[in-house]
Amino acid sequence: MEQHVNPEDSELWALGALEGEEKRALEAHARSCAPCAKELDAARQRVALLALTAPPVTPSPSVKDALMRQVRAERGAPVAGPAIRPRQRLLWLTPAFAVAAIVFAGLSAWLWSRDRHDLQRVELLQVRLSALQSRTRDMVASSEATNEILGAPGTVRVPLASQPGGPAGRAGVLYNARLGSAIYVGQLPPAPAGKSYQLWLVPSSGAPISLGVFSSEQPTTALTARVTPGLTPKAFAVTVEPEGGSSQPTGPKVLVGAAG
Amino acid sequence: MPLQPGPDAALVERMIAGDESALSTLYDRYSGMLFSMLVRILKDTSAAEEILQDLFLQLWRNPSRFDPSRGSLPAWLLVIGRNRAISRLRSRERREVSDDSEGFSMESIPSPGNIEEEAQRSQLAQRLKSAMATLPPEQREAVELAYFEGMSQTEIAARTGSPLGTVKSRVRAAMQSLKDKFGDGTARQSGRL
Repeated sequence: MEQHVNPEDSELWALGALEGEEKRALEAHARSCAPCAKELDAARQRVALLALTAPPVTPSPSVKDALMRQVRAERGAPVAGPAIRPRQRLLWLTPAFAVAAIVFAGLSAWLWSRDRHDLQRVELLQVRLSALQSRTRDMVASSEATNEILGAPGTVRVPLASQPGGPAGRAGVLYNARLGSAIYVGQLPPAPAGKSYQLWLVPSSGAPISLGVFSSEQPTTALTARVTPGLTPKAFAVTVEPEGGSSQPTGPKVLVGAAG
Repeated sequence: MPLQPGPDAALVERMIAGDESALSTLYDRYSGMLFSMLVRILKDTSAAEEILQDLFLQLWRNPSRFDPSRGSLPAWLLVIGRNRAISRLRSRERREVSDDSEGFSMESIPSPGNIEEEAQRSQLAQRLKSAMATLPPEQREAVELAYFEGMSQTEIAARTGSPLGTVKSRVRAAMQSLKDKFGDGTARQSGRL
């Protein structure tokens, strides 16, 4: 039987001073022993206090300036130049601006009545713009999810293998139970006409959970998915389903990978 | 009406909602403590500033990585900051630091509360410094080499010319003394972190 973690060793571990076999054995034991894992957490918490013994030093104000500039740049907000002062804002309320606004509104109404066709084109462009914005948001969310899961401790990689009689393909899933986050990257031939591929998380207990539907029209497909944090997967699988996907797997499995 | 600065968890929520002022408040609250530690480890203000900025940028980009129900924000930042600084310090050796230990991330630290008051933190820092000052020099040295220079016990033994077992005993004794000086354990004190 494995020994519990010696509280004195937990501090050495938290300091980063423990090494080699001692470190590996301690971590291996704590992975399957909740009280010892808790003791390691507590030790780390105690050791973090040592930071406060460092002589106080204040960072240059330029660090914060650079940080906030970068944050604004990433958000796409203006990063340079002075802020609009109240006096400048008042220009928007000047009589000249009010007149211009009325003229513009009148001109718009006249143009609208003159040519509805142009308006319909504008509406179409607005719909396209909206769709583009939605796709951009999805891409940003996907990118954020990728960054999050790649850098997170506890992320596991599950390779998915082709099944006999099915299409040749290769894929893998990155999964982090704590974050409830999964990323699928794979290569499969396009789904048969009228069919879609569907990715499933097969939990250790309960029904499979759909992680997404794809058609594999591109050489490589990437999917990000969110599930309830804490789920322990038994396997991941890709099945062929009716176009648009199913609530539960109904078709043949084409890729399967056991988790853990 | 402008939002008032609040507890860390509320500020993190505001960051998730895209509120830059929440990041600014958190930076003002914790940058000094973090920067002091980074400078102590790296002995290079430029490198410390770079890591400090990056820490808060990462916090802004992925605020949801911090889970307030499982740990305090300053403790989380301190562990990540320390590990980055030590990695930088020892990048040639690529020695594993505990932040990379699978399954034992800072995120799994139990909820220790928050440092809310600068005065309280200063008082705690003062008590810690006093406690460190009362340690025998060789014990203090061993702890400081481990914490601020990221040395393993073997490396501390080599640096100090002491047997490995002695180094272990010194670190253990030092940590026990700190626990004793903080009453029933530093864990309760660390609740302020």
